Amino acid sequence: MRINWNELQEKSFYQATARERANGIVDDGTFKEFLGPRDKMVSPHLIILGEAVEYDDGMTAGVGKIGKHPVFVISQEGKFVGGALGEVNGAKMSYTLKLAIDCYDAMKEKYGKVPDDRKPIVVVSYDSGGVRLHEANAGLVAHSECMECMWKLQNKVPNISIIGSSLGAYGAQGFVCLSADVVLANDYGRIGLTGPDVIQQEVGKDEFDASDRALIWRTMGARSKYILGDVNFLLKDSIKEFRDKIVAMSDLPMSEISKYRHLGSEELVEENLNVVKIAGREKINDSKDLWKYYGNENVDELPELPQEEFLKVVKRRPRGL
Amino acid sequence: MALTELNFEFKPGNPKSIVDDWSHVGVVSSSDLEVLIEKGKACKGKACFHVLTTVVGFDNIWETVLQRIVETTGLSGVNVSINDNAATPAVVKRRILQAIENGGGLQ
Repeated sequence: MRINWNELQEKSFYQATARERANGIVDDGTFKEFLGPRDKMVSPHLIILGEAVEYDDGMTAGVGKIGKHPVFVISQEGKFVGGALGEVNGAKMSYTLKLAIDCYDAMKEKYGKVPDDRKPIVVVSYDSGGVRLHEANAGLVAHSECMECMWKLQNKVPNISIIGSSLGAYGAQGFVCLSADVVLANDYGRIGLTGPDVIQQEVGKDEFDASDRALIWRTMGARSKYILGDVNFLLKDSIKEFRDKIVAMSDLPMSEISKYRHLGSEELVEENLNVVKIAGREKINDSKDLWKYYGNENVDELPELPQEEFLKVVKRRPRGL
Repeated sequence: MALTELNFEFKPGNPKSIVDDWSHVGVVSSSDLEVLIEKGKACKGKACFHVLTTVVGFDNIWETVLQRIVETTGLSGVNVSINDNAATPAVVKRRILQAIENGGGLQ
């Protein structure tokens, strides 16, 4: 099995497979996979239903290194059953998160404190539609286990979400990804709870037209989420860009990293509710109205601009209001 | 409908094996497959295939396609495990050749 790390760095994050993403994020040759394809741990539920199975159950999880940091990487593969979380890959995800907590606790017990340049880091690349419906209960349990782990990681281990793949983070993964400390995305990233087709089916085409691509992207796309502050950093689409950002943040003290959080305290809940209040008060009918409210004038051009220009002109929601 | 499980063994005229211990390529998406090649002592001089596919009734085509690949490349001494989600023969051939290349080629 060969992986050319140098070639991976220039590769598009969007086009790479889950395994390539995981290997490219950490230092060259340091990635060790948990339950890889050779372990052949396939989903027992899919076999019973006569659905195709995959040896890694649509997820690459493992540990690697960035400098002196142990980095726990979870990378979802959206092309296999929509990247959805089932029993096997859900357990892989939650146990990798648990391992990061155990790693932190073991370091703390042995050395008294965990130095900033050696602390463990969790990186999750989301590419999922949520719960795998074939094994729905197991998938929901897995989600709640992941949420519990992420709660425990808070203020201990930096937890970084990457939204840079074709599916983005939908369904239950939508709020799992925002429970992280930092959210990184490229222009292809999307975050949502309910997918466009389901919204249209449930509340009608007048409310949300699922065939209107521009509407979908300006409602759920990374640029809109960047303006609203759900996405902390908007990056170019290459594995190197994401890796460089993580490397740059890796030595920051935990108190600095926690400042990027979106959830996890009463003040942050108030801050999020405030956006909802603004949407009600200002009669917001479209994302563009909200962008205008936060001081953007050329709202029709914003989605079309090249990323560099977009980042220069865009005005974002101020934090802490 | 249940998955189809197929097992084949082919002996090539000019046996060669992959350089690395194992090799894996592909994602089981629609019309695609994953190929896992592992060196195995039990398969000396032959290539053992284990195929799990969603398609029914194409057993002969699988046999022909895999046999041809083994004959032309000389692939042997390996267990080849395939998870397939309705890939066409051309894609199957491509992926197996890709897996051989990913394992350092044949020698």
